Amino acid sequence: MRPWHLAAAALAVAACASVAMERRRPWAGPSLSELEATPFAFRDAVLASGGLRAVAADLAWVQLLQYMAGNLPEIEDRPGRRHDRVLQLSRRVMRLDPHFHRAPLYGASILGWFEEVDRPDEAVELLDEAIRRAPEEPLFKLYLAAMAFKRAGDDARMVALLERSFDDPRAPSTMKAILANLYQRRGEPAKALETWERVLANPLDASEHARARLKIVELRAALRAGGRQPWKTQSWPTSRPSR
Amino acid sequence: MDTIKAVFDYTLKEHLRHKAWLSAALFGVALLAGGLVASALGQEERGRLMLDLGLAANEALAMVSAVFLTVHLVLQEIESRAIFLILTHPVARWQYLLGRWLGTVAAVGLAMAGMGAAHLLALQAFGGAPLLPYLGVLGLAFAKTAVMAALALLLSLALTSEAAAMAFSGFFFVLGHFAPELRFLAEKSGSVPVRTVMVAFSHAAPDFSRLTPREAWSGGLPDPAWFALAFLYAAAYAAACLALSTQVFEQKEF
Repeated sequence: MRPWHLAAAALAVAACASVAMERRRPWAGPSLSELEATPFAFRDAVLASGGLRAVAADLAWVQLLQYMAGNLPEIEDRPGRRHDRVLQLSRRVMRLDPHFHRAPLYGASILGWFEEVDRPDEAVELLDEAIRRAPEEPLFKLYLAAMAFKRAGDDARMVALLERSFDDPRAPSTMKAILANLYQRRGEPAKALETWERVLANPLDASEHARARLKIVELRAALRAGGRQPWKTQSWPTSRPSR
Repeated sequence: MDTIKAVFDYTLKEHLRHKAWLSAALFGVALLAGGLVASALGQEERGRLMLDLGLAANEALAMVSAVFLTVHLVLQEIESRAIFLILTHPVARWQYLLGRWLGTVAAVGLAMAGMGAAHLLALQAFGGAPLLPYLGVLGLAFAKTAVMAALALLLSLALTSEAAAMAFSGFFFVLGHFAPELRFLAEKSGSVPVRTVMVAFSHAAPDFSRLTPREAWSGGLPDPAWFALAFLYAAAYAAACLALSTQVFEQKEF
C-alpha cells in the first residue's frame, strides 16, 4: 500500500468520524457573524478564531463588570441613559459563550430591577435570547416570569419568585442585593436585614459583602430605633461602588 | 517496532534537554500564576476564569511548542547532514518519521501533564474541578496538539522552509476553527453544489473546533462515545498527515 493510499483511507475515516460527531452533538455556538458589534469586536473575533471563545467570554464578562463600575472608557453612555450599554455588553458575553449563564442573568437584573436603569423591555429581550441559546438554564425562565409579574404590578409574586432562586449558586449576587433592597422598599426591614445577612454568610457573594455589612449596620440601627419607617423614600443603590 | 522505539527514545531525550521546551513549561506555570491574579477580576465567576485561562494557557503553549519543535525536527537534521547517518542504518523512512513525531508528541504531552497538574492544584483554591471531565478535555487538547504536530511535520517537509511551515501551520490552525463557520455559510448558501463543496471541505479540513476543550465542556460534557469519536478523528487525521509526510519524504534524495 502506497503512503498516499493510506492517507486517503485515513482522511475518509476522519471525515466519517467528523460527520458522526456532528450528528451526536451538533455545533451549538453562535456564528462569528453574530458577535456583538462593540469596540472589542475584532479582539473577540480573533480569540474565537483561535479556539478561545470561552476566554473571550471571560474577558467580556470582566469588561461588563468594569463598565458597571464606571471603569471602561471605551464605552460611553448616551446622555440621560445610565448604564446604556448593559444589554449590548451582556449579549456580547452570551454570544461568545451561550453557556456563560451568569452574564445574561446579571444583565437582566440590572436592566429590569435597577431603579435608575429600569428598561424591562431590554431585560426581556436579553432573557428571550438567552432562553433560545441555552434552554437548559431554568433561571432564565424564572427571571422572565418575575419580570412579567413586575410589569403587571404584582410585586408580591415577583418577590416570591426571586426568593426561590436566592440559594441557587448560579443566581448573581447583584440580584440578591436587589431583592434585599426590594424588601426595604416594600417596608419590610426585618426581611431586608435577613436577606443581607444571608448574602454576607455566602462566600459566593463576596462581591456584595462590603455593601451587606453597611446595610446590616444601617438596618439594625433603624430597627432598634423602631417605629419610624424611612424605607419607602430611601434611595435604591443603582450601581456598584466604584473601585 | 524496536526501530520506532529507538527513534522515539532519542527524540524524547533530545526534547527533554531542549531549552525551548523547558522555558515553555516554566512560562506555562507563570501564565497559570497570572491567571490566578487575573481571575480575581471575575468576581463570582473566578473559578470559571481560572479554569478557562489555565486550559487556554496549557493548550496555547503546547501548540506553540509542538509546531516549533516539529518544524525543526527533520529540517535541522537535513541541514546538519545528521540524517545521512540515521538513514544509513536499517531504518525505513516512515519508521523514522513516526518515531520522531511520537517522541515530540510525548515530550509535549509530558509538559501538558505537568501544567495540567499545576492547574488542578491551583483550582483547588476555588472549589476544585471534577477530575474526569478535566482529564477528558485535557485529552482533547492533547489530541489537537498531536494533529497540529503531524500537520506541521507535513508542511515542513513539503515546503522545506521553517518560516513558511510555521506560517502555514498558523493558517491551518485558524482554518481548523473555522469548520463550523464553513458549515454555517453552507447552510446559508442557496446553491446546492456550493453547499456540497463547502460541507465536504469543512469535513476534509482539520476540524479543531471539535477538539477545543472548553467548548466541549460548556453546556454539559459529551458522552464517552463522542469522546471516542473525537480521539478516532484526531488519530485518523494525524495518520493521514504522517502518511503524506512519508510520501513527501520518500521522494527526497539525500
